Amino acid sequence: MKKVLLFALAALISTMAFAQSRVTGTVTSKEDGGPIPGVNVMVKGTRTGSFTDENGKYSINAPANATLVFTSVGYTTLEVPVNGRSVVNAVMASDAIGLDETIVVAYGTAKKGSYSGSAAVVKQDAIKDVPVVSFEQALAGKAAGVQAMSYSGQPGSEVEISVRGYGSLNASNKPLYVIDGVPATSGDWGTGNISISAMNYLNPSDIESITILKDAAAASLYGSRASNGVILITTKKGKEGDLVSTFKANASVSYFSYKKHMEMVNDAQNEALQRMSFRNYAEANPSAWSSYGSVDAYVQSMLDVNYPAFDYDKYIYKDWEKALFQKGISQNYEYSISGGNDKGKIYASVAYTDQHGVVKIDYLRRFSATVNGEAKLNKWLKLGGIIQYSWQYQTGHQDGWSSKDNPMFIWKAVMIDRWPYAYKATGELYEEEFSTRFNTINPVGQYKHQINDATQHRVILKGWAEVAFTDYLKLKSTLASDYLYVHDKFNWLYGHPNFYAYGTGYASDKHRNVNKVVSSTTLNFDKMFDVHHVSAMVGWEAEREKFNGLRLGKTDFSYLGATESIMGTTLDEGYAWSYEESLLSLLSSASYDFNSKYYLTGTFRRDGSSRLAPNTRWGNFWSVSGTWRFSKEKFLEFPWLNDGKIRGSYGTSGTLPSDLFGYMSVYDYGYYGSDGASYPGNIANTDLTWEKNKNWNIGLDATLFDRYTLSVEYFNRKTTDLLLDASVASTTGFGSTLMNKGSMVNRGWEVSVNVDIIKKQDMELSVGANWTRVHNEILKLSTDDEAMVDPNWGWFYWKKGYNYYQWYTRTYLGINKTGSDLNGVKPGWPMYARGVFYSKGETLSNDIILRDGTVVKAGEKMPYDGYDYTPSTRNNGKSMVVEGKRAMPKFFGGFNANFRWKDLSVSMAWNYKFGHYLLNSCQDNVATDGYRTFAQPIMKTQLNPWTPENQNTDVPMRYLGNNQGGYYNSSRMLVRGDFARLKNLTISYNLPRAFVQKLTLRNARVYLSGANLLTISKCEIEPELQSNGIYEYGMPALRTWSFGVEVSF
Amino acid sequence: MKKILSIILVAVLTISLTNCKGFLDKTPTDSVVAENALATIEDAGVAVNGMYTLLKYYTMYGSYMIMMGDMRGDLLYPRELSGTGYIVYSYDYGSAQNSYFSLWRNNYTTINRANSIIKNIDALEVPSDKQAIKDDYIGQAYAVRALCYFDLARLYGKPYKFDSGASLGAVLITEPVSPSEARLPRSTVAETYTQIEKDLATALPLLSKNKNTGHFNYWAARFLQAKVALYKGDNETAYTAAKDVINNGPYSLIPRDEFIDSWAEEGNDESILEGLVNLQSPIDSDNGFQGSFYYNLWFGTANTGASVIPTRKWRQLFTLTPQDIRINWIDYDDPVTGFKKTGEYWLRKFPGNTGFTAFLNNPRIMRLAEAYLIAAEAGMNSGKGDAASLLLKVAQRADPTVTSIAATMENIEIQRMKELIGEGDRFFDVMRRNGSYTRDATDPHESHPQVLTWSNDRVALPISDEERVIYPELQQNPGY
Repeated sequence: MKKVLLFALAALISTMAFAQSRVTGTVTSKEDGGPIPGVNVMVKGTRTGSFTDENGKYSINAPANATLVFTSVGYTTLEVPVNGRSVVNAVMASDAIGLDETIVVAYGTAKKGSYSGSAAVVKQDAIKDVPVVSFEQALAGKAAGVQAMSYSGQPGSEVEISVRGYGSLNASNKPLYVIDGVPATSGDWGTGNISISAMNYLNPSDIESITILKDAAAASLYGSRASNGVILITTKKGKEGDLVSTFKANASVSYFSYKKHMEMVNDAQNEALQRMSFRNYAEANPSAWSSYGSVDAYVQSMLDVNYPAFDYDKYIYKDWEKALFQKGISQNYEYSISGGNDKGKIYASVAYTDQHGVVKIDYLRRFSATVNGEAKLNKWLKLGGIIQYSWQYQTGHQDGWSSKDNPMFIWKAVMIDRWPYAYKATGELYEEEFSTRFNTINPVGQYKHQINDATQHRVILKGWAEVAFTDYLKLKSTLASDYLYVHDKFNWLYGHPNFYAYGTGYASDKHRNVNKVVSSTTLNFDKMFDVHHVSAMVGWEAEREKFNGLRLGKTDFSYLGATESIMGTTLDEGYAWSYEESLLSLLSSASYDFNSKYYLTGTFRRDGSSRLAPNTRWGNFWSVSGTWRFSKEKFLEFPWLNDGKIRGSYGTSGTLPSDLFGYMSVYDYGYYGSDGASYPGNIANTDLTWEKNKNWNIGLDATLFDRYTLSVEYFNRKTTDLLLDASVASTTGFGSTLMNKGSMVNRGWEVSVNVDIIKKQDMELSVGANWTRVHNEILKLSTDDEAMVDPNWGWFYWKKGYNYYQWYTRTYLGINKTGSDLNGVKPGWPMYARGVFYSKGETLSNDIILRDGTVVKAGEKMPYDGYDYTPSTRNNGKSMVVEGKRAMPKFFGGFNANFRWKDLSVSMAWNYKFGHYLLNSCQDNVATDGYRTFAQPIMKTQLNPWTPENQNTDVPMRYLGNNQGGYYNSSRMLVRGDFARLKNLTISYNLPRAFVQKLTLRNARVYLSGANLLTISKCEIEPELQSNGIYEYGMPALRTWSFGVEVSF
Repeated sequence: MKKILSIILVAVLTISLTNCKGFLDKTPTDSVVAENALATIEDAGVAVNGMYTLLKYYTMYGSYMIMMGDMRGDLLYPRELSGTGYIVYSYDYGSAQNSYFSLWRNNYTTINRANSIIKNIDALEVPSDKQAIKDDYIGQAYAVRALCYFDLARLYGKPYKFDSGASLGAVLITEPVSPSEARLPRSTVAETYTQIEKDLATALPLLSKNKNTGHFNYWAARFLQAKVALYKGDNETAYTAAKDVINNGPYSLIPRDEFIDSWAEEGNDESILEGLVNLQSPIDSDNGFQGSFYYNLWFGTANTGASVIPTRKWRQLFTLTPQDIRINWIDYDDPVTGFKKTGEYWLRKFPGNTGFTAFLNNPRIMRLAEAYLIAAEAGMNSGKGDAASLLLKVAQRADPTVTSIAATMENIEIQRMKELIGEGDRFFDVMRRNGSYTRDATDPHESHPQVLTWSNDRVALPISDEERVIYPELQQNPGY
C-alpha cells in the first residue's frame, strides 16, 4: 500500500529537468534584519540542498525556473521562485504565533487575529516529545481554562478534560471531541476491569493542532453537545514540497512519581501500633482477656494469630513493592511521509508503541496507520480523504477501591512484610491465606491465574469533495464513518484463589462495536467588497450511531490451562444488546468585518435528537460575537502597541441527556426463579429536554513591545434546565428519576501571558504562564430550599449557593484533649461536630456551639443559618457541609519556558492547582486508629497516638474495634491538594548541519524528555487526581524519562 | 459538467433531507415501552413475578431482613467485629448510614410494583376461563403489599403493643405516584396495621388455594394474617388463621430424619412461601441468602465472608436435649483440623439449594412449623385447649424423646429460639411482647447494651438522612 502511494506521489510531483545554474543570496530575519545562519535551502521537488553560513549566505545549483524553499527552526517556511535570477535574497519571518496564523475552528478555519470567539490552540510542538500514550495527557497546564486529569496512571486509561468548570450536575461534563471536522466517539469503553480510552487510538505525533473551543461564539455551532466545550483535533496533512520522510524512535522508563504517596510505617512500628490497640482494648474490657489470664497474654495471643513472626528457615520473604511493581519500559517507533504540490498532497504514517506498565501485569501495545490525501482535479473540484486505523492491545488491573485485583490496594492496604512470598525448600509461591481473618492470598500467584485484557480496533474513514462555483462560493460535502470495536476479556482461570466463587474458573468476553456515520454538506460564501469582508455558511449534518454488544461468560473448567469459555461447562451469562441513536442538524453562520477593524459574527444551529420526546426534541442554539481591533484606530496607534483587540460574545449551547431513552416509560425484564419477571423501570418524563447553557465572554488580547503577549478573559456560563438523575422519595418506588431542574453558573477569569525575553538569532528565551479562576455555584435546584446529596459519588452537597464539589460528611474536630469525658467522648478519642443544622431565627431547644466557638444557649435564637459544632461521638455526628472545603480548586494553570541556543533547545511545562481538598478514602483501611484485628499496613500519619502518658498529639488513641475512629467517613479523610508539578521537560538537540548533510539527511535530532519529574506538594497522597478529588487506590501519576531520535530525509 | 455535478449534489441533499422521517425515532432494545408491557394476562404473570425479585434479594429476605431480625437478638453474633453485621449487632446504626436501610427503599419499590399491578391488571379484559388467574394475580399484589407494610411497621415503628400503635409507622402509598405525590408524612403503626388488614381481607377471596411455593397463595396470606394479629395482640384472629393453615392447607411437617436435608429442597412439604433463586445464575446476580450472612459462602469461597455464629446461649438450649436434631444445624470448625480453622461453631441451616453449584439457598419466608408456634402462642394467650399439643408437634418432630410439653410462654419461646434461628424472627419476637433479653457475657458486645427492652429508641430503625434531605416531610424516629 505504502509503495503504491510513493509511486503515485512520485508521479504527481515529477518535474522536468532544466538547465542548472548557480544561485547565491543572503537570508535575513524580518524581525531584526540580521542574517540567519543554518537555513536549509532546497530546490523544490529535488534533493538538491544547501545551508546558509554564519553570515546568512548560501549558494546552490538550481534551474532558472526552479523554486527555492527556505526552512529553519523558528521561522515560517518560505518559497521564492528563481525566475532566472542569479541572486535570490530571502527575508524570513519568525513563526511565533502570528496574527495571521490560521486556526481551526467550528466548521472551518479562521485567522487568529480576527477570531472573536474564545479558543485555545495547542500546537504539535507543545506535545510532540512528551512521553505519553494519549495527547490528552499532554494538555495539562497548557491552556487557560482547561484542566486535564488522569483517572489512573495505568497505561491506556482515560483522561478527564474539563473546560471552564462543570456545567452539568450529572449529565456528562465531558467536552465533545471533533476529529478533522467529524464528531468522534470518545470516553472510557472499559467495563469495570480496565480503563479503555477510545481517544487512545490517535498517535500524538499525527496531530497537527488541537483547538479547544471555550465560549458560545466558538462552540455554539456544535449546538446540543457544546456546553462543556469542544476539542477540535486536526491531524497532519501533506505539505507542499518534497516528499519528506521522518523516522522517530524513543524509549522510556517509568516509575512512581510522588514519593509521599501513602507512606506506610515499617514492620516494627506496625506491630507496636497494633499491640497498642489490643492492649488498650483489653485494659478496658476485662472479659476479653480473662480467659487468657492477663492482658499481656491476651495481647501476645492476638499477635501470634494475626502477626506471625518471620520464619526465615521456612519461607522466603520479599519486598511486596518489588514483587508487584517494576520500572516500566516503553518503546515507540514512528515513520511518516509528507509531501505534495499544487495538484495534490499526501501525508501517511505508521507508528508502533509498546509500553510496559509499572504494575507488572499492565501492558499496552498500539499500532496505528494513517493516510491523509487530497487532490485538486481541476479548477473547481477538490477531493480528499482520510483513513485512520489503529489497533491497541492492553492488559491491566481493576483500579478501584478494595479491588482484590488492584496491586495498589494490595500493596498499600493488605501486604505487610511478614507474609511469606515462597517456600524456602521448593521455591514455590506461598498461596495459603495470609490471615484467617482476611482472605488474602499471594497476589503474584493470583495474577498468574488471571486474564484481564482488552483489544481495540478503530477505523475512521472520511471522504470529502469541495466544489468551487466561483472563487467566493464553495460547496463542501463530507461523509465519515467512525468504527470502534472493543473486546475485553476477564478470566479467573482454574487455580485462581477466587475460583471457589466460580466453581473451577471463570471466563468472560465482551465484544462491543459502535459505528457512527456522519454526513454533512455546507455552502460557504466568502468575499471582499472593498474594505467590507463578508462570509457566510449554511449547511446540514446528520449523524447516526449504532451500537452492538455481545457478552458471554462461563464457569467450571475441567482443564487447568483453559482460557476460553468454549472449554467451560456452565453458562454464567450470555446475551447480546444494541441501540441506535441519531441527531439531525441545520447549521449556519455569517460574519462581516470592516477594514480588519470591526468584526461581527453570528451562528445558528438547530438540532433534533432521538434522545428526546418528539415534542421536545428540536432545539435552537445561536451566538453573536464581535471584535474591535482598537490598535487599528488612528488615535490608538502607538509604536509599543503591536496589536490590541477587545472581543465579546454571547450565545447558547446545550447538553443532551446521557440516557438514550430517558423520556420513555419502560418496563425492565429480569427473572424470578427460572421464570421471567418484569417491573416498572423508571418514572417517565416526557417533558425531558436539553440542558441549556447561556454563555458570555469578554476578552482582551494585546501584543506589546514586540515582546509581551497578553490575553485576559472573563466568562460567565449559566446552565439552566440541568439534567439530573434526581433522587426522589423512595415512596415512589424508585431512587431517582431523570429530570430537568435547577441552574448552575461557572464564571471566572483566565489570564495568559507570554514574554519573549531573548529574541536573537542564536538564542531565544520565552516564558509563559496561565492562570484560571472558576467560581462555580449552584443557583438553585427545583426550589431555593431544595437540597440533596450528589447522586454521583455521595460525597457532595447540592443546594442553592453551594459549589458543585462541596464536601459533605461528618466534621472531624480532632481528639479530646480535655482529660475527661466530653459529651461521651473519652480522653484521646476522636471528636466530631454534632452537625445538626439550624436556620436563622430558630429557637434552640438545647445548647449548641457555633463554628467560631460561640455558645448559643437553649431558648436563644440561632443568629444565622449554621451547624452545631458541639463535639460529640462519631455516632452522634451527622453528615454536614464541611465548610470551606471543596474538591474544586480555587485556581489552576500552568507555566512554561522555552529556551533555544543555536541547535539546542530546552522547554519545560508546569501545571498547578490550588485551594482544594482531596478525599483519601483509603484512610478507611490504613488509618483506622486500631479498628481491625488483622495485620494490615498502617499509614505514617497514625504514628504517635494518644496515650495517657503521651497526650501532646493529634492522633487518636488506638483501640481495637473502636467505633469512633478513622474507619468511619469524616472530614478527617480530607487533605489539601495544592500542588505544582513539572509535567514535562524536554532537551532537544539538532545535530550539526554539516554532519547531517554528510549522512544525506535533511535533519537529525536527539532529545531527552521527562514527564512528572518534580512535584511540589504537602499532600499525603498523589495530588493530581480526577476532578472529584476522591482517591481510591488508583495508580498515581508516573515519572517517565524518555530518550528519542528523529531523522528526516 | 459543473452544472451536472451541482444538480447531483443538490439532489443528494434533497433526498437525504426528505428521507429523514423517522430518522429520530428510536426505541430501546433492553426494555419494553410501558404501554406494551402489560397487554395480556401472560404479561401480567410476568409482572407478578416481578414483585418477588427484590423480596428474594439480599437487600430484603435474602439477608438484610433476616439480619435485622436475628443479628439484633441474642442467638447469633457476627464473625467480624466490624462491618455491617457488627453495626447491626451492636445497635450502632445511625441516620447517616444508608446501606442496610435500603430496606426502606426496597419495600417501597416492591409496593410500587404491587400498586402498578393492581392499577393495570384490573383494567385488563380477559376471557372468562382466565378470570381466576387474573383474580389470583390481583390477590397476590394485595398480599405482597401487606407483607411489605408489615415489615416496614416492624422495622421502622415501635412494637404495636408498646403504645397501641401510636408511634410512627409506614408512609401509606396505595397507587403509583409521582415524585411530588409521594412525599406524604408517615402514618401511625396502628394505621399501617389497618392497611395491612385491609389488604389481606381484599387478597384472601381472590387468591388461589393451590400450593405455589414462590408466590403468595391463600395460605400464605392467611399465615401473614395470623402473624400480624399475633404482633398486634389479636389472639383470636391469630389462632383461627394459623389453625386454618395447619388444618386446611396442603402442608405437613417434615419428619425428623428428613428435616435437616429438607432445607436444600425447593417447595418442600412444610414450605408456604419462599423466594426463588435462579438455579442457573451465579452468586453475583441472584442473591438468595447471600452477602455476608450465610455460612455457605464463607466456607465455599475465598471471597465473601459469612458472618453469623450461634451464641453459646443458643447452643446451651440443647444441653439437656441432646436428641434434638436442630443442634445439627451447627458445624464446628476445628482450629486444627477444620476447613477454615476458626475454632467457631457455625450455623449451616441453609446448605444451598439442591442441584446448585453456587451455594445459594431460597430464602424461607413462611413455613408450617411457625404456623404451629403462632397457633400455640395465640391459643395459650386466649385459653385454647390445644395450645400444648400444637407446641408438642414442633418440639417432638425435632426430638422424639419429648412426649409432653406445657403451653407456657417460656416453652414457646424456647421452641421459637430453637426452631426459627436464622429466619429473622428473634428480635421481633422479643420486642412484640415486651420481653427483653440478655446477651451472654462471653459474646462480643464491647460497650454496647447487653440488655435491650422495647422502650429503647434503637428498636425502631432510623430513617436515613439522605432520604430526609430530599423528603423533609418524612419524620425521623426519636433518638436519631
